[in-house]
Amino acid sequence: MGFQEYIAAREFLGSIGQPVIAYILIVSLFQGLFSIFYIIKKNSKYYDYLIKCLYISTGLYFIGFFMLAWFHIQIYNTVLIEYPAALRQMIPVENSRIAAPLWIESEKMYFWAMCASAFALTVKKRKDIMSFLGIILSIFSLVIYFFSNPFKDPLPIINGEITQWYALLPSSDMRIFEMAGTLYGRIAYYYNSTYMWTHPPMLFVAYASLIITFAACVYMLFRKDKLYDEIAYRYAKIGYILLTTGMLIGYPWAIEAWKDSAWWWDPKISGSIMMWVLYSAYLHSRIYVSKGKMWQTTAYLGIICFASLIFTYLLTYIVPGIHSVVQP
Amino acid sequence: MKLRNYDYYLIILTTLILFAIGAVSLYGIAYYNYLAVDSQWTKTGQYSQYIDEMDSYLYPFLLLLLISLGLCIPKRLFEQDILIKFSGAILGITVILTVLSDIEKGLGFILAVMTVVQAIVLIMTIKKSKSIRFEKEGYIVRIGSSLLHLGFVIIILNFVSLRESSFHLLIFWIGVVLITVGNVFSFYPEKMTLI
Repeated sequence: MGFQEYIAAREFLGSIGQPVIAYILIVSLFQGLFSIFYIIKKNSKYYDYLIKCLYISTGLYFIGFFMLAWFHIQIYNTVLIEYPAALRQMIPVENSRIAAPLWIESEKMYFWAMCASAFALTVKKRKDIMSFLGIILSIFSLVIYFFSNPFKDPLPIINGEITQWYALLPSSDMRIFEMAGTLYGRIAYYYNSTYMWTHPPMLFVAYASLIITFAACVYMLFRKDKLYDEIAYRYAKIGYILLTTGMLIGYPWAIEAWKDSAWWWDPKISGSIMMWVLYSAYLHSRIYVSKGKMWQTTAYLGIICFASLIFTYLLTYIVPGIHSVVQP
Repeated sequence: MKLRNYDYYLIILTTLILFAIGAVSLYGIAYYNYLAVDSQWTKTGQYSQYIDEMDSYLYPFLLLLLISLGLCIPKRLFEQDILIKFSGAILGITVILTVLSDIEKGLGFILAVMTVVQAIVLIMTIKKSKSIRFEKEGYIVRIGSSLLHLGFVIIILNFVSLRESSFHLLIFWIGVVLITVGNVFSFYPEKMTLI
């Protein structure tokens, strides 16, 4: 097992994964169309098609996810990083394997969308909310296919690291020492970290649940029906528990992995604090939802909260910082 | 003012304070982005200046939030007139400490008092004490609410005053467990009763 096997697995993933993501896109676009038709014509036939499309796209998301899981297992089995003996004092282990989680790089949005689709199936009896979610999920699929496709160029950053490592290995290039140090840090504190396996998935499942809160809040605003508040609250509870605990778990991780780096008041952290306090405000205002116009305030807050969630997610790509992929 | 109306306005106030903290965070993002024009800025004194500045914007709202939550906490123990006197005294000492020292000391004091008060509330709630009052009905909900408040206060106290303590992470994890269990108990009391 080695680099060649890893490359073969990566190519195989691309070849079998690309059709899956293409089918997800096609089915999701139909799902979006049936959602629009249902909203306009209120014909149950369109709603039945929408639900069928949702079942198929969710199933496809899971199939794709299992393919990704297989690829991650292949990375673990085929790539062995053996550190030069000269670095033994700096690096406490002889070798490392990469146990990369399934929510990094271009896979995180895929994971979020898969969870959101699964959550959406739980509200299929609420035709109005479901049809709105159908449109949101089709936009999601569109964005994933064109901007965050995990099968097009699987894990480009990890691939770059592995490729560079194996390229330096046979030569007597001194850069191998620098690379070994960097890789050890990435593997120990990022890919293989327990926090990496808990902090992001909790947040993504929370985000998926909070999409339904958002959709219900939009309907509450237009329909002025307390039932939508109940639905919004049901999913906000799941989202809030995971959001709170998931965010808190990030703190000891930051202390361990970033030590003296500049991470406090980093834009992503500021955005997360903003999102959390807004959801706390939403849950507080909801206590008196039946009093006066508080239902309206609550609905608006639920919508603002979701806008802050999207904004916080995008911060990684638009503002520089320790969490970000963009640098000044 | 009736206690119910008083609670309602307190909730409005808490919501507004939370919103204000959100605005401070948003400002932080914009400010960071502005400073990041120089890619090396976090390696200079500018970064610690930025942290101090952001903390100084956050702390007054955090103090206000704690006061609004603080009113929530001892209200379970005291009648309204005693409650106002109690809160007034605590707030007075906090202001004096802030003026004489700094806002971190003031915050640390109010947080330490709140931790004690909320720990008493939790013990009395578990013991089903009659002298404790709650808006919400149900044993599990009340325990959940007490755990949540205690966890929240402990986490902030830990951030503000115990950053250098060797127990910092241990206290943090205690806070995380309290908040998580408190959230679950508050949101799903029926399911917890079944367990």
